[in-house]
Amino acid sequence: MQSENLLVVETEKKKKRKSMKQFAFIGPHLVLFLIFILIPTIYGIYASFTQWNLIGEPEWVGLSNFKTLLFDKSSTFHFQLRNGLKNTLLFVGLTVPLQILIPLTVAVALENKKVKFKSLFQAIFYIPGLISVSAAAIIWLLIFNPRLGPVNNLLSSATVWMVNQPNAWAIIVFMSLWGAIGGNLIIYRSAISGVSADLYESADIDGAGPVRKFFSITLPSIRFPLFYTVVMSTAGAFNVYAQPLMITNGGPEQSTHVMMMYIRQLAFGTGESVAGMASAMSVLLGLVIVSISVFQFIVMYRNSKG
Amino acid sequence: MRKISITKYLAYFFLVTSCVVWVFPVLFGFFTSFKAQGDIMTVGFSMLPANWVIQNYISVLTNTSSAPIVQWFLNSLVISGSHTFLVVLIVSLAAFGYTRIDFKGKETLFFTILALSMFPAVVNIIPSYKIVEALGWVNSPLAVIVPGLGGVGNVFLVRQFMLGIPKEFDESARMDGASDFTIYFKIILPLVKPVLIVTGLFSFIGSWNDFLWPTIVLNDVNKLTITAGLQLLQDLYGGYAMTGELMASAIIAMIPTVLLFLFAQKYFIESMNLNAGVKG
Repeated sequence: MQSENLLVVETEKKKKRKSMKQFAFIGPHLVLFLIFILIPTIYGIYASFTQWNLIGEPEWVGLSNFKTLLFDKSSTFHFQLRNGLKNTLLFVGLTVPLQILIPLTVAVALENKKVKFKSLFQAIFYIPGLISVSAAAIIWLLIFNPRLGPVNNLLSSATVWMVNQPNAWAIIVFMSLWGAIGGNLIIYRSAISGVSADLYESADIDGAGPVRKFFSITLPSIRFPLFYTVVMSTAGAFNVYAQPLMITNGGPEQSTHVMMMYIRQLAFGTGESVAGMASAMSVLLGLVIVSISVFQFIVMYRNSKG
Repeated sequence: MRKISITKYLAYFFLVTSCVVWVFPVLFGFFTSFKAQGDIMTVGFSMLPANWVIQNYISVLTNTSSAPIVQWFLNSLVISGSHTFLVVLIVSLAAFGYTRIDFKGKETLFFTILALSMFPAVVNIIPSYKIVEALGWVNSPLAVIVPGLGGVGNVFLVRQFMLGIPKEFDESARMDGASDFTIYFKIILPLVKPVLIVTGLFSFIGSWNDFLWPTIVLNDVNKLTITAGLQLLQDLYGGYAMTGELMASAIIAMIPTVLLFLFAQKYFIESMNLNAGVKG
């Protein structure tokens, strides 16, 4: 009896030791995940229901922040949410389609068998993505500098580009695209090179032209990588911050002031922090991002079945 | 036949025009960093310097007070270097745990943290700052090295790759009495080297170019990373009254990541195959 008990204890000990072993491997990552992702995310959602200046304890105020942000027309926070969300959506809407179309066109052009220097072309499109936005903005601001910039010198104009719309947006969007197409380009190239040559050959026999082949063979064959880049590019574009900050600092008249800029200002700007309100803004932005990703999933899933 | 050559010329035309546009800013910034301010003001537009000078670089590199760019560069090297090393270590350990160690609820645990990590990161920035502050890491390199290590995306990628390695490899070693750690270090690590190199490269570049987070947790000028530091330069160098200095700083800041790409180009391209393969 006793020895049997001992055996049970023994095997349980063994089991226990066995069940701890994995923590030597997944433990470090799991701890970091808890401390720097899970806890802050939960706390961020909690903080959105509080009044908080980042120094004292957050004070529970229920839905008050959300009510102010969404419905209180007299509040600056309401204006900031509306304006920030509008500008962020505008950026996403202008950037993402081009972030797909431009590299897709380049990838198709590079697929042409007669084109040489493929990897040189590819490198040229890829390199801007390796440059930090702050370094890139310093150069782009010189290019559009009213007095010293090549653009005005070549056009013999004295336009001050950044103080007017749609110029300010055009420059922000263009600079963002400049840095954002390289990754997608490589994804499309590898996807297109994986499409079976037989498909194109039988299309040739049927007398299909290049346009027809692109829409009936290439596009359907690369729909998963395409879908992946659409979702990733969209989610990424919502986090836009550095480009408008460096290029226009939100101007003219806050017309390029995006959500991340308001969130950062409210939480970490000069003056007393309104981190509770900023958290509520982040939660709303987070919800917009999630809803759009889910929407994209549903649309693409339906199309991929059809 | 004629049709083919038309598409060929169309393709070339499109590629060459867009490449000129794409490469222009980098080259223009590079050449301008070797121009004297006098020439920049008077010449109007010219790509190449009328007189090549290195004064801009000397002036930028010798500034040790208002814009200590050498210090920033070293800070960035330390930060991005250690971040990259730790990512590779922690991610490969975790991926090994999730693929090679049997424990209850392994899949559930992994896919739970993967799903949880999908929630947009914007929500955790403010509390992350409080955590970093509570740890006493504000203005410490740790504030920019450590928080990013909790990401799940890289674990997913490396785990996917490890799943593709046949179990026979480690089972025979286990028969011979090798410990889990030996199997991890001697057998699995060498086999997943390509995906670890890719993970490392992207971690380094991401960390080097990170902008928002360093500007939140680092506010002492001497502790800044070069990417965060460049933000201060416009004012310091008087708008474009010191254009050459600004361009020289921007060029210095982009050297490491561009060099990495030029030397490891094949891994960047492989990585996209990996990504597309995993996700497709």
